[in-house]
Amino acid sequence: MNTQLGVSVKRKEARDKVTGAAKYTADLSQTPLLHVRILASTQAHALLLGVDAAAASAMPGVRAVVTGTDAGQLLCGGILRDMPPLARDRVRYFGEPVALVVAEEAQQAMAAAAAIQVRYSPLSPVTTIEEALVPDPVLVHENLGSYQRMEADIYPRPGTNLFHAVKVRKGDMERGWALSDETVEGTFHLPQSDHAAMETRAVRCSISPGGVIDITTASQSPFEVRELISRYFDVPQGMVAVHVPLVGGAFGGKAAVQLEVLAVLASRAVDGACVSLVNSREQDMATSPCHMGMRAELKLGARRTGEITAARMVFHLNAGAYADISPKLAKAVAVDCSGPYRFPNIDCDSFGVYTNAPYATSYRGFGHAELFFCLERMMDKLADALGMDPFELRAVNALKEGDLTATQVKATRSNMGDLVCCLDRLKSLINWSEGARIQEPGGLIRAKGMACLCKTSDTPTDASAAATVSFLPDGTVALNCAAVEIGPGIRTAMAQILAETLRMDVGRVYVNMEVDTQTAPYYWKTVASMTTYMMGRAVRAAALDARRQLLALGAVAMRCPEEDLEVENERVYLKADPLMFAAFRDLATGYKYGNGNAVGGPVIGRGSYVMDHLTLLDKDTGKGKAGRSWTLGAQAVEVEYDPAQHTYRLLKAATVLDAGKVLNPKTARGVVMGGMSMGLGLATREEFVQAPGGVEGATSFRTYKMLRIGEEPEYLVDFVETPQVDAPFGARGIAEHGVIGMPAALANAVAKAAGVDIEELPVTPELIWRKKGRP
Amino acid sequence: MIPFDFDYYAPETTGEAFNCYAKLSKAGKRPVWYAGGTELISMARVGSRTFGAVVDLKGVPDCTRLAAERGRIVLGAALTLTEIARSGLFPLLGSTAARIADHTIQGKITLGGNLAGTIQYRESALPLLLCGARAHVMTAGGVEKRPFSQVFSGRLHLEEGEFLAAVDVPEREAALPHCHAKRTRQDKIDYPLVTLCAVRDGGSVRCAVSGYGSAPLLVPAQALAGGAAVCGELAGEAADSLSGSGAYKRFVLENMVGQALANLGVK
Repeated sequence: MNTQLGVSVKRKEARDKVTGAAKYTADLSQTPLLHVRILASTQAHALLLGVDAAAASAMPGVRAVVTGTDAGQLLCGGILRDMPPLARDRVRYFGEPVALVVAEEAQQAMAAAAAIQVRYSPLSPVTTIEEALVPDPVLVHENLGSYQRMEADIYPRPGTNLFHAVKVRKGDMERGWALSDETVEGTFHLPQSDHAAMETRAVRCSISPGGVIDITTASQSPFEVRELISRYFDVPQGMVAVHVPLVGGAFGGKAAVQLEVLAVLASRAVDGACVSLVNSREQDMATSPCHMGMRAELKLGARRTGEITAARMVFHLNAGAYADISPKLAKAVAVDCSGPYRFPNIDCDSFGVYTNAPYATSYRGFGHAELFFCLERMMDKLADALGMDPFELRAVNALKEGDLTATQVKATRSNMGDLVCCLDRLKSLINWSEGARIQEPGGLIRAKGMACLCKTSDTPTDASAAATVSFLPDGTVALNCAAVEIGPGIRTAMAQILAETLRMDVGRVYVNMEVDTQTAPYYWKTVASMTTYMMGRAVRAAALDARRQLLALGAVAMRCPEEDLEVENERVYLKADPLMFAAFRDLATGYKYGNGNAVGGPVIGRGSYVMDHLTLLDKDTGKGKAGRSWTLGAQAVEVEYDPAQHTYRLLKAATVLDAGKVLNPKTARGVVMGGMSMGLGLATREEFVQAPGGVEGATSFRTYKMLRIGEEPEYLVDFVETPQVDAPFGARGIAEHGVIGMPAALANAVAKAAGVDIEELPVTPELIWRKKGRP
Repeated sequence: MIPFDFDYYAPETTGEAFNCYAKLSKAGKRPVWYAGGTELISMARVGSRTFGAVVDLKGVPDCTRLAAERGRIVLGAALTLTEIARSGLFPLLGSTAARIADHTIQGKITLGGNLAGTIQYRESALPLLLCGARAHVMTAGGVEKRPFSQVFSGRLHLEEGEFLAAVDVPEREAALPHCHAKRTRQDKIDYPLVTLCAVRDGGSVRCAVSGYGSAPLLVPAQALAGGAAVCGELAGEAADSLSGSGAYKRFVLENMVGQALANLGVK
């Protein structure tokens, strides 16, 4: 049997997707179906004086209008319960849901939403981190101290706009500065932006007369939806059924639980009738959670030879109006604040900050694209100051086996991978030896920039996954697991792991694309690039469990000891004579003797995995283990810069990741390229722009610009394979990592080309012109 | 999705269209002229525009004319940008049209819609302003041919109930040496930071820009003669927008004018 790994297996849902037959949440037909429309706030910060729905309620087809008061005193939030599902008393961002209309037709719901009269009394909005941090600031949340904390390690500061703080203290800063010959500083600003998944968020909900809340949703977190809906509406988890069909792109944005709560409120208002809530593109941008912004101040000290001796860093995350997952984002930034480098002395503070902007949730990279933009710009500034090659500076500082990370986790080859090898590979991929800044004929400049990256998982310490493997009477295998197919072919990867473990053809493994919390075993959620690892381990365990059962039954069937048997090609065979075998189809539902007697019964393999050895971070030093391993790598961007106009063109973008083991080369390349494209979008154009008063100025693709075909560079992707010994077949997570180093690599290339310092994104020609001193 | 109902009319002559609109107007139906629909549909679905009826001009032959006759090129106002670009009859307008929105939308947006719409850039006005165009305006008394510059300053100025049926330009002017350049904040497909059109007629150059100010405008001849000082002349017009600051637009315009003059062989 050939291996099922390292080969480009076509994803299982490919044919349905390319023929347009694949069904997403909003495609599912259901009758009768009522339609929900959200009325969103037109103010960024205001007291809500009244919501008059009388006229709207009387409009044709309208079945119910739901307002904040209909949700009682309910406050939502997975970590800090600070968010009313519909605004009550005040609105805190432009686009915040204020009311819901449920109507027979979608256009009736839209028309009625426009007829709701809302009276606001505008308050001064907090639109920047700087405004949020002034002494005696306008408070986004006046009752911060009263909010219920769902986790022990969250530290809100009532009377301020800070809802969480993470500290990292390592080594001796005084000594670190004393040892440094050179210091560099930077102050960075990153805007909020959108996930812009192709499928906007969508949900269906009904409540049966018996009280079962049935939800179909485009979500990365079906089990968290179940848990939170159960908690918010005080119903047992068994009375909440969550279905997730194929999801049309998520990027972290569909890990948050928002529309599901609104859909339950809407369905409840119409006696449990099935309601559909599908975001318009504009509402997906303005109303549903976004990608965080950041302000950061960094200072690095280093010896003449490049070794970094001290790092002082302060990160303020612009989380917008509600905390959602941002406390974990603040933690993730702190945990990886020294990147894949050996910084002996670190003083780092990472804060979650409220502003009157759309609230943030996880976004591909989970804070790391922002962190690495700052860190890797600093590394280039330091290289410049020291007169060192940027690759050399990174190699000098690379974590070696036995070094401690920022939160004092010991680095090993297995948990970290091989940065120096990635750097070497990248150097040749991007042809670094020809020079990083080349004057072209015609006055243009070709320049290259690079950046390193690394990321660990930052899951809860007890995040877990489970899977079952069952057999069809024809001997083929069915995998049941709750990894949501959000695009990267993860369910195909799980099938590969199963097939490889049972040494059978992956084409004979079936894995359905829908997740149903009523039938699938538990999985924490499909985030953090952790599915390959966590679910992969559960699937492998389930496959091994099934294999044990097949061997035991095979031993009965073939009247021999189990140790004489082997499993391959859907057969249990005698090692000594492979032609003596029992086929899976003869064992799958129990083995039947010639006389009709049967033994065994259907084989079901089960596997579970829970993260082990993880700890919370120490409140004062940050010491602790936030993830089991890292995926690291190095990236580069080549641009062609026009010094007369300050415009530039993307020529090449390159990534080398230490993937541990590449399970599926083409999907691996695809997922990394996709990440790179997103990273270049952040680097070059994507941003939310707030007009005075906090009104979002870019809530459609007319003004929110994304990279288009024709603007893409040539993508170069390569992998290093340093196995992570505890991972399935050594494979590390790679789903997010393509995005992480791109903004820094692009900024480093432009900084090199134009001879300017770049400390903000996106890098537009106007920014370069401004940095050039407005000639 | 458009959340309100409206009536749809498809007249077949200019007169029928004019009368249809007048009747609807009188009946309080709040009619709008309709052609490509890109702007009206977008605005209606986000609730920033409502109407009770649309009068679609695409079926009016006068509005879809595309011809060179008696020394002038006639372009119907309901021609799409793609049709104008593909015709090759007025190369400067074709180049301009081919850089408005994206390829898909160019197949919907019409010349008249681009001139009469609320999106302020109206880039297709630039070649018309530069090349002696006339506007064919449908009025109560029939189609009147007026100098384009008389009906367009920043935006189309017509009486309620009138509509633009077509434009024409002298063939000679449509064939003048010309250049078109569009600069955006960053993307190839975007609203203009500055779009510039220029023609050379003998020794003189005429130039018009969009995106720079709050509406399309002609660059005064004395400003062009000033070369790099052009921005001084127009400094007051530069407007901040999502695409860029006024100060940056001045820098960009200066570059673009210099480049345009060089391309047209003028020092």
